[in-house]
Amino acid sequence: MPAIAGPSSSPQKHVVGSRSESIGGVRSAEVNTSRKRKLISDSAAEVSATVVLPVNSISTPMKWKSPRRCAVSIPKTSDEEIKEDSNEKLENPVISVCLEVKSKWNPKDDEQMKAVKEALHVSKAPSTVVCREDEQRRVFEFVKGCMEQKKAGSLYICGCPGTGKSLSMEKVRLQAEEWAKQAGLHCPETVSVNCTSLTKSTDIFSKILGNYESGKKANGSFSPLQQLQRLFSQKQQQSRSKMMLIIADEMDYLITRDRGVLHELFMLTTLPLSRCILIGTVFCVINVHFLKSVSYGQTSFKFKVRICPPGVANAIDLADRFLPKLKSLNCKPLVVTFRAYSKDQILRILQERLVALPFVAFQSNALEICARKVSAASGDMRKALCVCRSALEILEIEVRGSIDQEPKGPVPECQVVKMDHMIAALSKTFKSPIVDTIQSLPQHQQIIVCSAAKAFRGSKKDRTIAELNKLYLEICKSSMITPAGITEFSNMCTVLNDQGILKLSLARDDKLKRVSLRVDEADITFALKEIRFFRNCLL
Amino acid sequence: MASSLSSKAKTFKSPTKTPTKMYRKSYLSPSSTSLTPPQTPETLTPLRRSSRHVSRKINLGNDPIDLPGKESVEEINLIRKPRKRTNDIVVAEKSKKKKIDPEVSFSPVSPIRSETKKTKKKKRVYYNKVEFDETEFEIGDDVYVKRTEDANPDEEEEEDPEIEDCQICFKSHTNTIMIECDDCLGGFHLNCLKPPLKEVPEGDWICQFCEVKKSGQTLVVVPKPPEGKKLARTMKEKLLSSDLWAARIEKLWKEVDDGVYWIRARWYMIPEETVLGRQRHNLKRELYLTNDFADIEMECVLRHCFVKCPKEFSKASNDGDDVFLCEYEYDVHWGSFKRVAELADGDEDSDQEWNGRKEEEIDYSDEEIEFDDEESVRGVSKSKRGGANSRKGRFFGLEKVGMKRIPEHVRCHKQSELEKAKATLLLATRPKSLPCRSKEMEEITAFIKGSISDDQCLGRCMYIHGVPGTGKTISVLSVMKNLKAEVEAGSVSPYCFVEINGLKLASPENIYSVIYEGLSGHRVGWKKALQSLNERFAEGKKIGKENEKPCILLIDELDVLVTRNQSVLYNILDWPTKPNSKLVVLGIANTMDLPEKLLPRISSRMGIQRLCFGPYNHRQLQEIISTRLEGINAFEKTAIEFASRKVAAISGDARRALEICRRAAEVADYRLKKSNISAKSQLVIMADVEVAIQEMFQAPHIQVMKSVSKLSRIFLTAMVHELYKTGMAETSFDRVATTVSSICLTNGEAFPGWDILLKIGCDLGECRIVLCEPGEKHRLQKLQLNFPSDDVAFALKDNKDLPWLANYL
Repeated sequence: MPAIAGPSSSPQKHVVGSRSESIGGVRSAEVNTSRKRKLISDSAAEVSATVVLPVNSISTPMKWKSPRRCAVSIPKTSDEEIKEDSNEKLENPVISVCLEVKSKWNPKDDEQMKAVKEALHVSKAPSTVVCREDEQRRVFEFVKGCMEQKKAGSLYICGCPGTGKSLSMEKVRLQAEEWAKQAGLHCPETVSVNCTSLTKSTDIFSKILGNYESGKKANGSFSPLQQLQRLFSQKQQQSRSKMMLIIADEMDYLITRDRGVLHELFMLTTLPLSRCILIGTVFCVINVHFLKSVSYGQTSFKFKVRICPPGVANAIDLADRFLPKLKSLNCKPLVVTFRAYSKDQILRILQERLVALPFVAFQSNALEICARKVSAASGDMRKALCVCRSALEILEIEVRGSIDQEPKGPVPECQVVKMDHMIAALSKTFKSPIVDTIQSLPQHQQIIVCSAAKAFRGSKKDRTIAELNKLYLEICKSSMITPAGITEFSNMCTVLNDQGILKLSLARDDKLKRVSLRVDEADITFALKEIRFFRNCLL
Repeated sequence: MASSLSSKAKTFKSPTKTPTKMYRKSYLSPSSTSLTPPQTPETLTPLRRSSRHVSRKINLGNDPIDLPGKESVEEINLIRKPRKRTNDIVVAEKSKKKKIDPEVSFSPVSPIRSETKKTKKKKRVYYNKVEFDETEFEIGDDVYVKRTEDANPDEEEEEDPEIEDCQICFKSHTNTIMIECDDCLGGFHLNCLKPPLKEVPEGDWICQFCEVKKSGQTLVVVPKPPEGKKLARTMKEKLLSSDLWAARIEKLWKEVDDGVYWIRARWYMIPEETVLGRQRHNLKRELYLTNDFADIEMECVLRHCFVKCPKEFSKASNDGDDVFLCEYEYDVHWGSFKRVAELADGDEDSDQEWNGRKEEEIDYSDEEIEFDDEESVRGVSKSKRGGANSRKGRFFGLEKVGMKRIPEHVRCHKQSELEKAKATLLLATRPKSLPCRSKEMEEITAFIKGSISDDQCLGRCMYIHGVPGTGKTISVLSVMKNLKAEVEAGSVSPYCFVEINGLKLASPENIYSVIYEGLSGHRVGWKKALQSLNERFAEGKKIGKENEKPCILLIDELDVLVTRNQSVLYNILDWPTKPNSKLVVLGIANTMDLPEKLLPRISSRMGIQRLCFGPYNHRQLQEIISTRLEGINAFEKTAIEFASRKVAAISGDARRALEICRRAAEVADYRLKKSNISAKSQLVIMADVEVAIQEMFQAPHIQVMKSVSKLSRIFLTAMVHELYKTGMAETSFDRVATTVSSICLTNGEAFPGWDILLKIGCDLGECRIVLCEPGEKHRLQKLQLNFPSDDVAFALKDNKDLPWLANYL
């Protein structure tokens, strides 16, 4: 339990050290740097340290591992991060300079507040997609290539959630239309489908067909897929020479047991159509769990697969199982991966969104800490936006409170979202509430948690409810408490299961259910240490 | 005897009842005699029906002379002196009408009179098709039915206009094309419009006046009709203002004895007459088909109208003025709606069913009405012939059944404090206020207000979690209630609120239908609903006419919606991230880590707004209970504290605390009544709470073990004894039996024999007190106690029959 032994030092590690988390395992550095950092970071960090830290310091190891794994998979980023860290450049003057020219922001003004919130909302698509130029270019080149040669192709895009896949595809689509106009080609027809909204997976073919065939009578005797196949393999008249761009979002929802639909979709791009002038493009973006596919009409499919965050077995697994098969079918899609955003990218995107506003709402280092923390945890842009918004709300409440309380008091010079607001928001988002939860449990449930901690102290990883009950009864007896009955006991175990503290396996018989602990024993010890009653029990 | 009664009797079963009135009337005005629709139980609900009956009777009274034709009717009407109506109830019934008309009203009796009746034998000839009044009526046709007696006589004098007047020039030409406004249903000549229209435009068209009204201006200059010209109302207008009825012909027959043609009508209702009133989604021309039948005379039928199902209705844009839409059936008993399956074929069965039920009920109502009518005849002046009928068709609740309502205050004795306490502690009782959750409620309010207050509503999502019984749902609901009050006060812009409980859905996908129904009022299959919702939220198309309002979606038990590929949750949580969705999602579940269990792309869309409802601590529970009991002096303070501490230590579930207190109140009530001492302190004391807690927390297995048979007790004792001796949880029947026999021997009990013992073991196994293998293993059968031996020992210890058992425990 060393992590808990020094609560005073571990706090900074988590609050300020969020960036160090991303350094993928440079653990030794953390201890040294964290002290320094603490000095540098302003009072805000200290405030948060006192408030937030006890909680953070005990967060489960699991939580912190996954981001690290993530970072490792992108070695380039971690190198940069290390450099950054060693420089200890916390305030980034370069970026903030350009912002400071702008007028002052007044958070009391509803209009302005609204504008900021809107700018930060997920649904607001920025006019330009920054930090994804490279991927966008590759996708666009691919589309362009297909359109120029009038051949089909497929592309598979994969990437973690919140890394701008759908957004980029939308831009590519517009770009392609623009380009086609300039190049004097037919504008490609576009079908955008979100596969989650299909009621069954084969519906995608009727969607494609519906778009493709708008004028033609439906041929009742063939399934949409058969019709499509015929279309693409038979000679067509000239008029149909348009390409079709099919963008299928969350493509993994098309996976059926035999993966037939997905294969057929990709196979569409390989149908022999050179004589057919008609070109569609199918472009598929497959997220790991999901895909987007853009298919280029007749023969060309674009397919993007994206890699999923570690932990989703399904995702990588999918690409592995799925791509070789396609290769054997001679339609291996080009794969484009959208990496999780790095800290710099998140920062840039946030600034890009805010730069359009005529005033400064965020301190630059507040944005930076947000970017660092989010990139370390998941690199999910949606999350970064949510954190910013909640920091904004914290400020809003603060401002309103100060107005209510002392209307005549001296108004603080500059009301912007500062470090401390951001840190409060981050801790709200990323903190693990386990310790709080344990401390607020009813007493008998605490006893169960305590007995579970004892039970799993050894090498044994799980026990049945009956065994746990025995331990529980022991503790109750030793402290002269009337124990709850066995049915009540298993009820309480279910509640603890819901709260994510215990894990109950399914079993027919209540008594035979296996119990295992889902939180770190150290967390439990720390949480219960405060309560005198448990001090003896835990020894 | 009432004529309603008579007519009913005539129609249905008891010929003996056809009465005197029939005679009287028959020579006076045969036509009106039979007009009276029979009293049916359905009359209870719709006001319209009741007024119909009333008017009918007036008609009877006022038209004593046989009227050969319309013209003569008018004359008679003109010379008739106004008569006063003594029956004020009738007047009250008519409060709907603008004018209470003291004049004698008459019904425009259709000129062709059926032959006079001859015999009173009840014989009927049924037809499929009847030509009446030069029009053919067939079974299944829809017709207008008049209810005119109380209508304005001036208006009645006019011929019902076949063609409605233009709203601008107030003339009706037959040769110009008229267009109908989809909002006010007014008719306009194409060339009267400014600018004039050449042809009827495609799609919906709204007249200039309605457009102005819609744009928010209150001052609308509507052209006034020229002086002296009366606005003639078409039948459609009368129907929609409930001065006429529409009905479907279900049966047609002629009474052989008097030659009067009858129809059995199945009524249509306009939306205003349903329990819900007119809803936003009701179209102007929408009608509901009811399961309310009546037998009426052919004379009341005015002419055909056309009620169509939505599909046909959409095609029927040129079919004239008498086209209506009927999409739902309305059950007048239950006030419920259901979609008309297929108007043509599907509903045969249900008709049968309803018919059947009706017949049964008719008997019943017959008698009651008889009684009622007699009363009314007595009460109202006899001189009025119409008076006998005057109360027909009115709904008097219990009175109708011939009973007098017992006044509330007589019936209920004064509630004692304990009873009041029991009532307020019921879980179903909504508390007046919610203590201890103000912080959470504030947060929810801030969240919702923050989301919907701006005109540009930004979609968001909040996840609320907490253990059961911590007030999650009720907090959200009370927040919504407060918000609703604010909407009415105008400080918050209006929104629509859809509440869904995941556990009440037949399957997770059904949530789409429920949401869609909540937004539009139409029930469709989930696939269709998903498509429409996608259009609405992702592409920003509107559902129905209006829907600019933000939508708040409350999903209780969110975790039930987690399907294998989680697409339902994905869709629901993806919508708020779309630009024009205006959707705010509040999800409630017990599990704290639900978002972490979901696919990353879903938790990414869920956002980071979380709200935790922790278990209550004992102080909070105490406050909750005492707020509920405010003003009721029934509990000792310590008793409440004891209950709340006990619950807080185990689960912190407010429901359970309330249950314990309620049970304690019951126990106390029982105790006080039994002791029969009018104690000054009728308070619930600690001991009562203790008893309640024992009942609640003590597992049922102890109760079972306490009440098992004597031999079973010995058997269990032997098992416990065996367990103590060997220390092994599992034992075999062989060994238990040996122990039993030795125990019995020592204590002078007769050993029951192995077979019986085996049976006892299996019985105990059935109720899961012991776990045992099937009985065929006999001696080798393995047995194990299902509960801790302490529990068993505790249950068996204090036994009067077998005190010696304690020695072995």
